[in-house]
Amino acid sequence: MARLFKNPDQLSAYRDRRFLGSQDEFEHALRTSTTVYVGNLSFYTTEEQIYEVFSRTGELKKIIMGLDKNSKTPCGFCFVLFYTREDTEDAVKYISGTILDDRPIRVDFDWGFQEGRQWGRGRSGGQVRDEYRTDYDPGRGGYGKLVQKELEVRRQLVEYDQPVGMGGVQYPNLGEGGGGNEFRRGKDRHGNGGNRHREGRKRYRDEDAPPADGVKRQDRELKVEKNPRFREKGDSDEEDGGDGGKS
Amino acid sequence: MSASWHSLLVRIGEQCPEYGGLADAEDHVETCFGYLARDLAHSEGEILALLMQCVEELPHKDPLYGALVGLINTEDKELVGKVIKRTHAGIQEALDTDNCNKLRILTRFLTVLMCNSVVSPSSLIEFYEALVSSAATTIDEDGGNPTWQARADFYVFCILASLPWGGIELSERVPEDLERVLNGVEAYLNLRKPVMYSALQVFEKSGSRSEDGDDTEMKPMESDDYLQCLWFSIQALMENSWKVDSVPRPHLSFESRLVHAQTHDFDPVSIPETPAVPENATEIMLDRQRQEAERTYPRRNMHLRIFPLSKTDEKITPIDRFVVEEYLLDVLFYLNGCRKECAAYMVGLPVPFRYEYIMAETVFSQLLLPPKPPFRLIYYTVVMVDLCKALPGAFPAVVAGAVRALFQRVAEMDVECRTRLVQWLSHHLSNFQFVWPWEEWAHILELPKWAPERVFAKEVLEKEVRLAYWEKIKDSIASTPKLIKLLPPKNTPVFVYAPDNNTSAPEAEVALATELTSLVRGKKTVREIQVWIDEQILPTQGQQASIQIVAQTLLYIGSKSFTHTITVLEKYCQIFRKIAPDMGTQIAMIDTVSQLWRNSAQMTAIVIDRMMGYRMVSNLAIVAWVFSPQNVQQFHTSDQVWEILRNAINKTNNRTVDLRKEISAAEKVLKLAAAGTVKAHSKWEAAVAALNAAEAKSEDSRNSLSAKVDWAKTVADKAQDEETSAQDSLESKGALLDRALREQEALFLAVYQSFADLLTDRLSKPLPEPQEVSNSLEDAEGEGADVEAPVAMEADEENDEDGTKQRNQKRTTSADPQEEEQWRKCTLGYLRAISRQYCDEVWLLMEKLDSTVFTDKVHPLVTSTTYAGLRRSL
Repeated sequence: MARLFKNPDQLSAYRDRRFLGSQDEFEHALRTSTTVYVGNLSFYTTEEQIYEVFSRTGELKKIIMGLDKNSKTPCGFCFVLFYTREDTEDAVKYISGTILDDRPIRVDFDWGFQEGRQWGRGRSGGQVRDEYRTDYDPGRGGYGKLVQKELEVRRQLVEYDQPVGMGGVQYPNLGEGGGGNEFRRGKDRHGNGGNRHREGRKRYRDEDAPPADGVKRQDRELKVEKNPRFREKGDSDEEDGGDGGKS
Repeated sequence: MSASWHSLLVRIGEQCPEYGGLADAEDHVETCFGYLARDLAHSEGEILALLMQCVEELPHKDPLYGALVGLINTEDKELVGKVIKRTHAGIQEALDTDNCNKLRILTRFLTVLMCNSVVSPSSLIEFYEALVSSAATTIDEDGGNPTWQARADFYVFCILASLPWGGIELSERVPEDLERVLNGVEAYLNLRKPVMYSALQVFEKSGSRSEDGDDTEMKPMESDDYLQCLWFSIQALMENSWKVDSVPRPHLSFESRLVHAQTHDFDPVSIPETPAVPENATEIMLDRQRQEAERTYPRRNMHLRIFPLSKTDEKITPIDRFVVEEYLLDVLFYLNGCRKECAAYMVGLPVPFRYEYIMAETVFSQLLLPPKPPFRLIYYTVVMVDLCKALPGAFPAVVAGAVRALFQRVAEMDVECRTRLVQWLSHHLSNFQFVWPWEEWAHILELPKWAPERVFAKEVLEKEVRLAYWEKIKDSIASTPKLIKLLPPKNTPVFVYAPDNNTSAPEAEVALATELTSLVRGKKTVREIQVWIDEQILPTQGQQASIQIVAQTLLYIGSKSFTHTITVLEKYCQIFRKIAPDMGTQIAMIDTVSQLWRNSAQMTAIVIDRMMGYRMVSNLAIVAWVFSPQNVQQFHTSDQVWEILRNAINKTNNRTVDLRKEISAAEKVLKLAAAGTVKAHSKWEAAVAALNAAEAKSEDSRNSLSAKVDWAKTVADKAQDEETSAQDSLESKGALLDRALREQEALFLAVYQSFADLLTDRLSKPLPEPQEVSNSLEDAEGEGADVEAPVAMEADEENDEDGTKQRNQKRTTSADPQEEEQWRKCTLGYLRAISRQYCDEVWLLMEKLDSTVFTDKVHPLVTSTTYAGLRRSL
């Protein structure tokens, strides 16, 4: 059906550079795969929300959240594995472009999940797209990582030179809440600068600890107040299953 | 230039850049004709193929494609002969393969070709008559097979449905012939049995609408029977001199040219024989055949009126309504998956009147169509979202109006349709920031908690929370804060053994749970933990308490996310299986799950579903749990347990479907392997023969031949091995399928037995005496969540207490007669819906169900409701 307007050869606009086979093999993988890649998720979207949406096209086998490779927290993408090809096709056909957590999500055929693909490939740990973004996206950690770093540098200058205010320094288009957050984050980071590395290593073993990056943590904590979808259980942090679903 | 005919052909009649400033469809036809004439010489095959594809997949533009073919016919008769040949082949194929849509559309196209003087009227009439006569034969008791009436009806429908496109021409050119066909149709309609859709209705009692007493009364022609209904419209059309506003007639502009072209004859088609009546057919066999016919020729739409007629039907003639519905249904069918085009075509139909209301009714009628919508529910969600975006000024308000009207009648709504509406509305709102005027529905808080309106709103909010998060949905009802009572609790697990929790759990159990937690955290092996459970928990606590301690603790450890949960279930699979090896203990385990996740209907359903997947609990245990007393009390107040039952049935059915697919793949492998063996063996035999023949020859050649024999034998042995392993794999899959089929049979027997026992008991009791009604209102107070309540609140506390109280008093019915009545209606509704939804599977077990479940002891309503769902005659 609907052959008139669909190019059946066009399976996905995205060509994964990490796929080791040939173009033909890649296309064959896409054509037979029962895995979809889901993009443009909010960092706060939970597996259960994804389950609810995607189970509307069929029984799910697995969900693998994409994680920031430093902080081990969701970084805005995931893989959903179905049992049948038909359900997979329906997911791509219907769910792509629908709204989840106020964002249009993108659903594409994926050539198949492999260990390691759950990690963000950006230099800072998240997705590459979040490195270079210049817009402020509250669902994805605010500004892009590069802009954040740039802001950081300027802010530290501000703090050393003019600890009271921001006068005189031009901030690129800071949104109301965003500006404030960024500022507070800057302070915090400054204060915690020395511990960052150790915290980061600890994260590998201790899932529930705050994210390694001080900037990120502040951001998350602020969001968590507004958006407490994580089942924070205080003392009950456990380590099993903390590795993104590989068992 | 080479590809331009492509987009011109596809985009004909549309406002599009391809046709630049040309606005008139007639100009498009002329332009397109010009381009095609130029390219026909070297791209004939491609052009023909695309033309036929457009005819079939964009059928609302068939008058334009017909006019195009008509113009080509004035210059290239031979080419048009090929168009007709392809049309003929298409119709023949559609007849042979029961392809309803293709048959209907090509019949229409053939009619359009007649209008364009491409096909002679007499050969069109001949085709019509072949269809009518086949239909009449089918429903003839002697020699025919009336169980296949669905197909006969459809053939007649194809004729009637094409008349809006050519009735006027036929009545001008061959009036007597047309009359003869219509008389044939009428005779057929008098002979056939009217189709009753009593169990396939969205609303239980049609007609009794509560809408401001305005013009929504039923008209006599609003029959459920789609063929009868169309017949009435065609008669009205005839009286109106075959005038249809909604069908464009571009050929009129070209008439002077078309009359000079030569018409072609359309060769007779061969209509397939009706399947024969089986010999000594039992009633069940006949019903089963009828069911097969209805599955092959399903009803495509239903008569669903949501809005006052003043907004829809009164403005146009019945046939225009029919044509617009046809357009919309075809776009929905053929452009499934092309979101942009689907919405664009739906809002841009070639009709001279507004049809947003009809459009909404049509999409809703598909979304709610029993037994199931043509496509997945989510497709209609997406279409509705896209239409709202395509017509932002008009359509959202129409959709909202439809929801209001449907909500008003939700009490009469079929339970499964209600569930679909909940699914759709929650998802729809999640695409629009959850904006809904909840204040309009504030009055439902005054209704008892089992009132359908209230249940509906509660379910919508629950599904919304699943798609977003609790606070977000709370904010969305901020205009009516008291509606917070209808919100589900926050979805945190309730761990009864939390050390700092002042729970009622005995200290010893808390201690064991805490120790188990630390064993897990301490990375003890599954074996070590198993030994510890066997030694420390089981001997002291007994099995029931042990299940609770172990399952609660492990699942709580995995409660952080879906993935954490399945990781725990996979890792400790053996422990779960060992601690609950049989039905009774598995029911206890499901109970434990529902306790832990009492605040999350979603997680309860997911965990039970996964446990069934890992075979920790059987489908029978799930059925037994669903029909346990505490859940029976919720049958009419929540969809939750029904969701769990549906999941269990679906999973059981999926297993057989998957295995059947695997078996057919394995059969192919075996066939290949067997062929390989035969080939290898014959080579080996040839080699042996060559060796034997070479007896007298030199030793050297004998040696080389014997080496060949050895090699051929190795190959043959290997092929044999492959065949054997393919055979083994097929056999083991066959065994698995046998098991899956046994499980499926046991499941349906259990489901129907449970329904029969429960309903027979409840229905044979008189309705309880009315008591003070305040009871239900008090319950309502405790139902919802508190804004400031801690995360682990127990929202259904009062429900549960209520349930316990009732059980203690050994009352099996509700106290309130109205509530009891609603319970009965709801439970029967679910019985009907399940029978309807799984009728293919249930029909296979009919004899068995008849002998074991539907005996004299069962309440007649149980049997009649089931039969109605299965469309089985009583």
